[in-house]
Amino acid sequence: MTTALIFLPLAGALLVWLLPLPGRASGVLATLIGLAEVALWAVAVRQFDFAQNLQLEDRQSWFDDLGVSYHVGFFGFSLWLAGLTVVVCAAGIGYATWANPERARAYQGLLLFLTGSIVGVFAAQDLLVFYVFFEAMLIPLYVLIGVWGGERRAFATVKFVVYTMAGSLLMLASIIVFGLSQGTFDLVDSGVSSNDWVFLGFLAAFAVKAPLFPFHGWLVDAYRESPPEVAAILSGVVSKAAVYGLFRIAIAKFPEPVQEFQVPILVAATIGLVYGSLLAFRARDVRSVTAYSSMAQMGLIVMGLFSLNELGINGAILQSVAHGLVSATLFLLAGMLETRTGTSAFARLGGLARGRPELATVLLVVGIIALAVPGSVSFAGEFLILAGIYAEGWAWAAIGAGAIVLAAMYMLRLISAVLHRSRGEAVRDEALDLRPAELAVVLPLLAALLFLSASPNSITERNFPIPGSDVSEAAR
Amino acid sequence: MTAGAWICLLAPLAGAWTITVMGDTISRRAAAWISTLSVFVAFGGALATFVGLLRRGEEERAALTTAWTWLSTGNFEVGLTLLVDPLAATMMLIVSGVGGLIVLYSVGYMDGDPEERRYFAYMSFFVFSMLLLVQAGNFLILLVGWGLVGLASYLLIGFWHERREAVAAAKKAFIMNAFGDATMALAFFVLIWQTGTLELAGAFEGAELMSSTALNLVALGLLGGAVAKSAQIPLHTWLPDAMEGPTPVSALIHAATMVTAGVYLIVRAHPLFELAPSIQDLAAGLGAVTLLVAGLVALVQTDIKRVIAYSTMSQIGYMFVGVGLGAYGSGMFHLLTHAFFKALLFMAAGLVIHHLAGEQDIRRMGGVRSVMPRTTVAFLVGSLALVGIPPLSGFFSKDSILAAALASGGYGQVLFAAGLVGALLTGVYTFRLFFVVFLGAPSPLVEQHAQGDGSGHGHGEGPWTMTVPVAVLTVLAVVGGWVQIAGVWHPFGDWLEVVAEPLVEPSVTQDYVASVLAVGLGLLGMGIAWLVYAARKRELPRTAAVRDVLEHKLYFDELYDAIFYRPAVWIAGIWRRWIEEPLIGGSISGVTLGARRAGGALGEAQSGYLRSYALAIAAAVAVLVVVFVAVQ
Repeated sequence: MTTALIFLPLAGALLVWLLPLPGRASGVLATLIGLAEVALWAVAVRQFDFAQNLQLEDRQSWFDDLGVSYHVGFFGFSLWLAGLTVVVCAAGIGYATWANPERARAYQGLLLFLTGSIVGVFAAQDLLVFYVFFEAMLIPLYVLIGVWGGERRAFATVKFVVYTMAGSLLMLASIIVFGLSQGTFDLVDSGVSSNDWVFLGFLAAFAVKAPLFPFHGWLVDAYRESPPEVAAILSGVVSKAAVYGLFRIAIAKFPEPVQEFQVPILVAATIGLVYGSLLAFRARDVRSVTAYSSMAQMGLIVMGLFSLNELGINGAILQSVAHGLVSATLFLLAGMLETRTGTSAFARLGGLARGRPELATVLLVVGIIALAVPGSVSFAGEFLILAGIYAEGWAWAAIGAGAIVLAAMYMLRLISAVLHRSRGEAVRDEALDLRPAELAVVLPLLAALLFLSASPNSITERNFPIPGSDVSEAAR
Repeated sequence: MTAGAWICLLAPLAGAWTITVMGDTISRRAAAWISTLSVFVAFGGALATFVGLLRRGEEERAALTTAWTWLSTGNFEVGLTLLVDPLAATMMLIVSGVGGLIVLYSVGYMDGDPEERRYFAYMSFFVFSMLLLVQAGNFLILLVGWGLVGLASYLLIGFWHERREAVAAAKKAFIMNAFGDATMALAFFVLIWQTGTLELAGAFEGAELMSSTALNLVALGLLGGAVAKSAQIPLHTWLPDAMEGPTPVSALIHAATMVTAGVYLIVRAHPLFELAPSIQDLAAGLGAVTLLVAGLVALVQTDIKRVIAYSTMSQIGYMFVGVGLGAYGSGMFHLLTHAFFKALLFMAAGLVIHHLAGEQDIRRMGGVRSVMPRTTVAFLVGSLALVGIPPLSGFFSKDSILAAALASGGYGQVLFAAGLVGALLTGVYTFRLFFVVFLGAPSPLVEQHAQGDGSGHGHGEGPWTMTVPVAVLTVLAVVGGWVQIAGVWHPFGDWLEVVAEPLVEPSVTQDYVASVLAVGLGLLGMGIAWLVYAARKRELPRTAAVRDVLEHKLYFDELYDAIFYRPAVWIAGIWRRWIEEPLIGGSISGVTLGARRAGGALGEAQSGYLRSYALAIAAAVAVLVVVFVAVQ
């Protein structure tokens, strides 16, 4: 089952590349494969028993003497991250079909390849398998940004490559040391380690990927120069590979170093939260605001993970799904704005709400969920994260709560700069409301967000089978 | 009974959803009537709930009902739970009853606005959110309702979104309230870790074992939310600006319902406040300060809606004094009567504004009585009720708060004195408004609209959808106070007593002393207003400095600008210029520069990039090492 979920989009990528279809047709084919992947994931959810741990396992020995095997499977929480992946990627592929870029066959194939690799990351139960998928995920991204990106794509790509390569190399070194010292690369079979340097090697890769302050140098350029659907996948889904890595590898395998480095990591995450929020507040265009707010949100999620209690970790997973959907929708909307006005700069936008009710409603609802209005799924996630981190010290929670006010400031600024006030110079009368095809892409994402807002518990009660720590016990 | 509560809650949500999803397949008028119907259905549900409660014995008047678990992790679980008890039922009746009248009024007021559908979707959504707030069965759902009313308020203040001032006012309201949400969330974190639950009863029980520091923090966090939502000093500056919204919005959200949520919260969470008496005293003190300051500022405002807005702040200050001293029944009683007469004042003002095609400056009004006699009567009734002249509703409720203050020892007597000064101020600013707008010779603007200028405005007093709600509220503003007469009968207080037992019981003598003094000072205030603004026998003592301070609303806006907004902008600018651009290299200018170079010699430039990124990564690692070393 898990293998099928990984290899359906990879095989789909090959199919799209090989079939000599014209642009739109290959897009439609890719969209169908993306939707089939969503359906397959739904089947996996039905088969999954959320009262149990690791399931849907597939295991094939690879290098016996080194203890390497092809080992994949899902936990409750990683199945949700995979679900986020297949939904956002299907939306991205659908949007690309509508936008119909040049060399669409190559493009769509790369998006499918990316989808399969990310699912592979979330399913990996062996460190080398994890590494292979982690790198496989980056290659299509380099090409997608470098070839189809905006004007300054070369610059953005090189920066992205250098940062992620540096992180990956450190992680590879750590994987080798860890695997050889344990005698196995399997994440289930291996024990724990107390080696600080090996831990820091993993941490470096995930800190770049998240990104965590101050490793975010690649972030804004990559998010600004990517095609919108690539930015959506990059910020919404790829960043969550860091969440999986931090939880499944760093926290699970390095209990001592985690305790030791908990405070510095929390400091970096908190700085990232405040720093990203303030820079988002002063950013000058839709994409930059979304980019910096993503950085802030990742800081918050890492705070939740490193609260090391059940409230915080459960909140971090919920918030990962919520932020993934929100951020992806915002980047897709940024793309839709750019096709209408040629810009996402606030100075040239404004007044788009007049006569465009669908665009206005969609942007407003997503923006409101992004700023975590009470009752939204992102509020539920933030509430759990901050309630969890409160146990580590009230100051963390107080700063985090302050950042919620900052989030309101930057998201409301974005909403009114785009939709309200007098009409911006780039907004022409011909700029249409959302077309049916565009609605077909964003409405499912919006519906997912609204459903999860009505019942965030559909995720939180299914993340972990056994309550790890007891809140009321902790009080005593 | 719980079915009634769910119908009450969900009908307005269904209304908002229908209007949103139907879009322009239904006419604007249909949207207006769907919204009105949805709120009246909610009122029906509230009535059913009320009757259901009445039928039960006094001790059994509370029921919890859970739809599903909203959020859970480990043993921490929060349901989508409603609590139906006398306090909730009272608020449900006020919110859906007054709300229904105001939405009906909107049918006339918003007629012809091209975005009517959006307006009515928002209005229904607001009523839903407010009902969720008052029916919430645990603190987290209460916070959800709390946040959603703030959202609805944001949407409706900024309804005319092409007006720069409206957009700015909407953002300000939301952000100040987000601050209140944040302090409430912090209070809940303390509760979660100290008591293990956010259920009301469980938290109250667990709170008795908490340390006084923790209790003070919890109460302070809740008070932060209450002060922000109810526009009490120091988190009040958003309310006057909120008058940028359509007038029915001001009547519903910024007078009758949402802004009184802080009072409701203190009553609902009174066991926590009683365990933290210093914070409860603080609530009463902030209320007293607010009622004085707002009363003073109201004296010099020239916008008809802003005068009423400051009056709202001031009256909520009275309610805070009441509930802060533990006179929960009195505070809630004033909340009830205030909903009637303040909604009436806003809606009567709305008739005038509507008649004058949107003019809100009282210096251009005058002599409106000659063209709108019935509106004049309605406004006069509202004004008399506001000043607290017997036998109108405000008399009974305000005096009941003052008597409680008189009975609350030394601190209470200070607050009592403040309340009396406030009564004088209320008389002055209320009748200044009445005399300037309604009496005297018609101003040129009023004359112009009396003849009708073909703009569709200026036709009589307004359509029936607007005049009928005003008439109903006029009656309620007169008789609404008769459910509680000091020393004679007090069904309202008894009704709420099972939820929140009052801490003070004023004697009959204290009741009479408070009444005589308050009414006397109110009349004196009206007299002063008559001399200065109607008979024009006295000039105002013009002390330029005082006037300046009042007209700048005591410089709160300037202060917050200087200590919050500017530093945030400044820090962000510093970080961008000195950290983000040079060290991390994500800047716009850096990118432009890089791109320009890249155009020339890509290969060479890239190797240049590589060096600088290696440097940036090294710098990042160095920063992290420093942080690690510093922290450990």
